[in-house]
Amino acid sequence: MARYLRRRILTGILIILVSLVINFMLIHLAPGNPISLLAGKDNPSQEMIDALTEKYGLNDPIHIQFISYVKTLLKGDLGYSIMSSEPVSKLIFEKVGPTLLLALTSILLAVVIGTASGIFAARKRGSLFDVTMNGLSYVFDSTPSFWLGLMLILIFASKLKIFPTAGMVDLRAQHEGIAKAVDILWHLTLPLITVTLIQIPYYFRIARASVIQTMSEDFITTFRAAGMKENKIFKKYIFKNAILPTITVFGINLAYVISGVAIIEIVFAWPGMGRLMMTAISKRDYPLLMGIYLILSVSIAVCMIVVDLIYAVIDPRIRYD
Amino acid sequence: MALLSIKNENVIYKVKNKNIHAVNNVSFDIEPQDSLGIVGESGSGKSTLALSMLRLLPKKIAEVSGEVIFEDRNLLTISEDELRDIRWKEISVVFQKSMNSLSPIHKIGSQMSDIYMLHNKTASKAEVKNKMTELLELVNLPPRVYTMYQHELSGGMMQRVSIALSLMHNPKLIIMDEATTALDVITQGQILNEIKELEKRLSIARIMITHDMSVVANTCKKIAVMYAGYLVEFGYVDDVISNPNHPYTRGLLKSFPTLKGERGVLRGISGSLPDLSVQHDGCIFESRCPERSESCHKEKPGTVILENGRMVMCHSAGRR
Amino acid sequence: MNKSGDFFTKMKRMLSMINQVRQLKIGIILLTIIILLALFAPLIATHDPFSLNDDMVNPPSKNYLLGTDGLGRDIFSGILYGARTSIVIGVVAASISGIVGTLIGGISGFYGGKIDSVVSEIINVFLMMPTFFLILIIVALFGSSMFNVMVVIGITTWTGNARLMRAQALSLKQRTFVKSLENIGESKIKTLIKHIIPNGIFPIIANTTMNISEAILTESGLSFLGLGDPNVMSWGQMVYNGKSYLTNGWWISTFSGAAIVLTVLAFYLIGDGMNNILSPKLNDNK
Repeated sequence: MARYLRRRILTGILIILVSLVINFMLIHLAPGNPISLLAGKDNPSQEMIDALTEKYGLNDPIHIQFISYVKTLLKGDLGYSIMSSEPVSKLIFEKVGPTLLLALTSILLAVVIGTASGIFAARKRGSLFDVTMNGLSYVFDSTPSFWLGLMLILIFASKLKIFPTAGMVDLRAQHEGIAKAVDILWHLTLPLITVTLIQIPYYFRIARASVIQTMSEDFITTFRAAGMKENKIFKKYIFKNAILPTITVFGINLAYVISGVAIIEIVFAWPGMGRLMMTAISKRDYPLLMGIYLILSVSIAVCMIVVDLIYAVIDPRIRYD
Repeated sequence: MALLSIKNENVIYKVKNKNIHAVNNVSFDIEPQDSLGIVGESGSGKSTLALSMLRLLPKKIAEVSGEVIFEDRNLLTISEDELRDIRWKEISVVFQKSMNSLSPIHKIGSQMSDIYMLHNKTASKAEVKNKMTELLELVNLPPRVYTMYQHELSGGMMQRVSIALSLMHNPKLIIMDEATTALDVITQGQILNEIKELEKRLSIARIMITHDMSVVANTCKKIAVMYAGYLVEFGYVDDVISNPNHPYTRGLLKSFPTLKGERGVLRGISGSLPDLSVQHDGCIFESRCPERSESCHKEKPGTVILENGRMVMCHSAGRR
Repeated sequence: MNKSGDFFTKMKRMLSMINQVRQLKIGIILLTIIILLALFAPLIATHDPFSLNDDMVNPPSKNYLLGTDGLGRDIFSGILYGARTSIVIGVVAASISGIVGTLIGGISGFYGGKIDSVVSEIINVFLMMPTFFLILIIVALFGSSMFNVMVVIGITTWTGNARLMRAQALSLKQRTFVKSLENIGESKIKTLIKHIIPNGIFPIIANTTMNISEAILTESGLSFLGLGDPNVMSWGQMVYNGKSYLTNGWWISTFSGAAIVLTVLAFYLIGDGMNNILSPKLNDNK
């Protein structure tokens, strides 16, 4: 297990490193010179140029520049946002909460609903439920998340007027305590449904396929031949074997969810990192944009290592390798 | 009285609008403490026959007819509950791929205990653990196997676990489906000797499914030769080997396949298995038979019963 | 003579295969319709999709089959021309990804050794990266021309193909015919290009078809974020434009988005159908 973990952690570190290199390269390869990119203006003042040249050592050879770039980052300094001249890290930190709320709840819901329905469909293979769910999973897999969000707004917000169209809280009402929580939940519903629906097919298909796969394994015949009841075979043996792939893909899915969430935040004006990113793009706020990208890459890498750890604990084949 | 008696059993696989006749009209008896080797090429229906006896074939695609009488009960028609009582307690199986015969992510011991508890529901934990350690000892495995996982054991060790598993409830009959095929010659020899020893001690009858004539010659009292779903010859090993009556048996004995070479074409018999999804009018072996005559093409041979329980399905049987 | 007979039996076999896999059948029918519509867009379109007119935000009617957008452009005609953009971007981007992935994966698996360990690690790293954001940033920095979008999508998504091709190369190089090629002195690079890649390409073709879906979705996402090529008609942009008219012009976003769903679905079904032929175990039609 130690070897496996060391490898995974190494890969994680490598990912962070590669993200840094990509970020660094982008600053230098992008059209225009890095100074105007970092300053966010086409003609920054001489002081600003001097300050930025000093800070990032822009006159040094490229590899030294990279090292000083990493050093600055390690101090937690992601640079300054152009549009608000506040530290990028501060801006990002303010927006992490809403994004996590949306992402984590949707992942949880999608894993539970997708996996449960996948398992059920696999056990009733060929049934009406199975066929319908399969068809739906194709359709939702082909649906752009932002369009799904718009359609939900169209139906549930503008026509039926059940849910609010945008935002996280009702700005006109100053709710406190429980009323505020309810209000947030109210605003959360549509974006949450959208992001969850987009993810469900993924977990549905994995669960269904791995249950079917496990049911055809030889060891199932052993238990059957021994006179074990189908229900017990399923609960004790098929389930645990079939759930393993879900855990593995869970990590890979994270990167995908985060991008889905980012777009949905824009559709529903949800005040998270996705919207921050959009503003950064439209205002050409490159330090902010890259800061967000870096933070996202690092957090995804960390999450994946955690998922791998959990996996190693569950699957004995990895533990003893 | 026979322990197990198979009467006119047929198995048809229904796949993709085709009916594949995997087992055709097979009948034979097994006496208590008998040991019967069923031999044939892959695709001859021998594994299908074994699995069908305990109704382990997928119901959706396999249609089984005929009778499998085990101690006065027809295993093909009794209820699921009754069948579950017979499974493992009376008849147990050692499967072909023992490397996958248990779940890879559960401990060997806990799976063995689970299976043990199926037919001994009241046993205490300590009791079960004791019994399992005993069983492991019986097949020459150290007690620590109890807390190990499948991937930590070698093929030979897993084979022994499977055998221990099958002996658990002192069954009257064990079906071994290519149980030693995947092993190296030395381990195979050891395990075969152990099996012979054990069944003498525990008075168990055994069906041994294999493509390896030498295994049958060394460990079985009787032999059943299958070809394309038909039982072509049946009798005592000594009789059949010294004087094979069916041309296919003769071919098999001449070719003596290598230990692992099930897929290779048998050298003694040219050609390959006929298409089992179409009806054959004459003898099923006719196309490959070196001794075929006019009648073989037109007429299905009946089963000729000779002295000493010998059965042969061939037009020329008994005439030599 | 004999050869053409061969060809016909092959075609027949292919057709019966297509008929057996339901996904493939539906997908191919759907895609054929979409491609025909895209090809004959100038003939079918009722209006010039770019021309503005005074009938702004008009609901679907006889004149404007699917209504008009905020600038009076005909939605139906826009969707027809948008099909061209989506399909071209999807196919080109996925092909770049397929070619790059096949070459890198093939070299990695076939040559093995150090190259292989390095490439495998790169694949691992790429799999864990938020690709969409990378694409977003690059397009934001380098400009959102159709060419940029296709290239960027292509070079950020090759890892899946590389992984497949690597596995194929690893298994193919154990085969006797490859080993005997080595014995008669065929050069490694020739063996790779003439034998390994052609023999192991089918899973990559299936995956590339799926990637077309992904690429179309990615492009529409970019367009929706305002990072589409302003010089072409694109469904993502149409959905984006319709966003502000959701309450009084629902048809703008609805129909253009539905076009994305159908097209993505078509490629997706075909890709999945091909995968089903490759590993029939999970095929549902039995």
